[in-house]
Amino acid sequence: MNVLLRLANFFSPLTHYIAYILAYFFETLFMLIFITISLVAVIYIFRKYMARLQVRRGPNRVGKFGIFQMIADMMKLVQKESILPKKRDDLPYKVAPVVVMLGLFLGFALMPYGSFYYIGSLTVTHSSVSLVLLIAVIAIMPIGEILAGISSHNKYAMVGALRAVAKDVSFEVPMMITILALVMMASGQTSSPLNIDSIASSSRAFIAYGLVQPIGLGVFMISMIARASYSPFDLGESDSELVSGHSTEYTGMRFGIFYVGLFGSIFLGSMMVSTLYLGAYNGPFSGDVGFIYLVIKTWILVLISFTIWLSMPRIRIDKFVNFGWKYLLPASVINLILAGILTLGWSL
Amino acid sequence: MVIVIGIKEVEEPKKQIPIVGSLKGILLVAKHLFEKPATVEYPETKPYIAERFKFRIFLSLDDCVGCTLCEQVCPNLTIHMQPVDRENPRNKRKIYPDVNFGTCTVCRNCEEICPTDAIYLTHEFETSRTRNSFTYSPEELQNPEDEVKR
Repeated sequence: MNVLLRLANFFSPLTHYIAYILAYFFETLFMLIFITISLVAVIYIFRKYMARLQVRRGPNRVGKFGIFQMIADMMKLVQKESILPKKRDDLPYKVAPVVVMLGLFLGFALMPYGSFYYIGSLTVTHSSVSLVLLIAVIAIMPIGEILAGISSHNKYAMVGALRAVAKDVSFEVPMMITILALVMMASGQTSSPLNIDSIASSSRAFIAYGLVQPIGLGVFMISMIARASYSPFDLGESDSELVSGHSTEYTGMRFGIFYVGLFGSIFLGSMMVSTLYLGAYNGPFSGDVGFIYLVIKTWILVLISFTIWLSMPRIRIDKFVNFGWKYLLPASVINLILAGILTLGWSL
Repeated sequence: MVIVIGIKEVEEPKKQIPIVGSLKGILLVAKHLFEKPATVEYPETKPYIAERFKFRIFLSLDDCVGCTLCEQVCPNLTIHMQPVDRENPRNKRKIYPDVNFGTCTVCRNCEEICPTDAIYLTHEFETSRTRNSFTYSPEELQNPEDEVKR
């Protein structure tokens, strides 16, 4: 039983088609609400966490403990005048934030969420190749950033976009190879190793793939940090050199969307790492509270990411690209070979 | 004869393993999570005030003899004497100081020079106001801060 069937049952007094249309609609709506609340929570907790690490208090004026600070910020951003650069390339300039947000939401739609008490499985997409879809979808967000950088007609935005391209090119390849090793190992466990849901449920056999492939876990986590482009790898928007990279010329809610996209990609990346490598929703009583396990694992990874963000300096562009090609790529290939030996030799 | 001065060769620091330093930094930052915040939520909780901290000037009208020493000693003409219609056998001229806190530098010269200790400084420091004058009349100098017109 999953959330779609529950909703269809709920609407079953209406005719079959209308019940399913409403069920799909409400399923999407619930997912969007979950994502929105998660993003607001990520931004709020980031600000609180950063404040505590810097021995401050963080937002504490709007509502109890400053809970409504994000809503107040959002209302401020909506009210602000949207200043458009004169020589902009109009269509890409306006489409870019939408593309970033689209990539983010599609990525969330493909995650397996586990099950939750009466409702059953909360997974939205049931596809046998959802891992391939996910890889395709998370490649959409950089396109939005590149569009924003090039269409702004601003040298800082342009350089930021070019750096973002360099970053993505050097870190996508090791990420793909680690995923390949993962799929290789999962193919011994399930008949459909390209389905994230079956990868997640098959990892129950030996607790988590991260224990068998520690190198893969490390490489994938670093790739996720690089993809979300925060502090050790924030070359795309290095705020002390380029003003703020691709989002330099954006104001108001359009800038807010890029800001949310950054935090959303941290959350999505943490969720991907916990799904693929840390055993997803598996745990005691995962038939009832699997969703909560996934959320807890994701939040621990988000906090680790924030700590890395707040403690590491930015690395230089050439060292950064070298790191991608000279260290991560060989490490991922070694991981692939080890995974092959484990899969064939010990038939794990 | 050769004089050998003890020159010590400077040793190069040991080359560290690359990731260990980063991990140490991360742990060091993470330790601060368990510290108490250094900031004070000001209007709700008052910050620590040292014992010898003095700010707002108070005036005891009964003790003031109207000698104008405080006006003379004030370095930036913050204190002026004002006539106040008040019966005080010790103050025949019926003049008392007023203080403009917009220019007061809290040098405490007036407190030191006052022969009868009529003018004195206190811990009170929240003197912000909405009206466009920081001048305290002699009657206002007598009252605590929350009774003064703001």
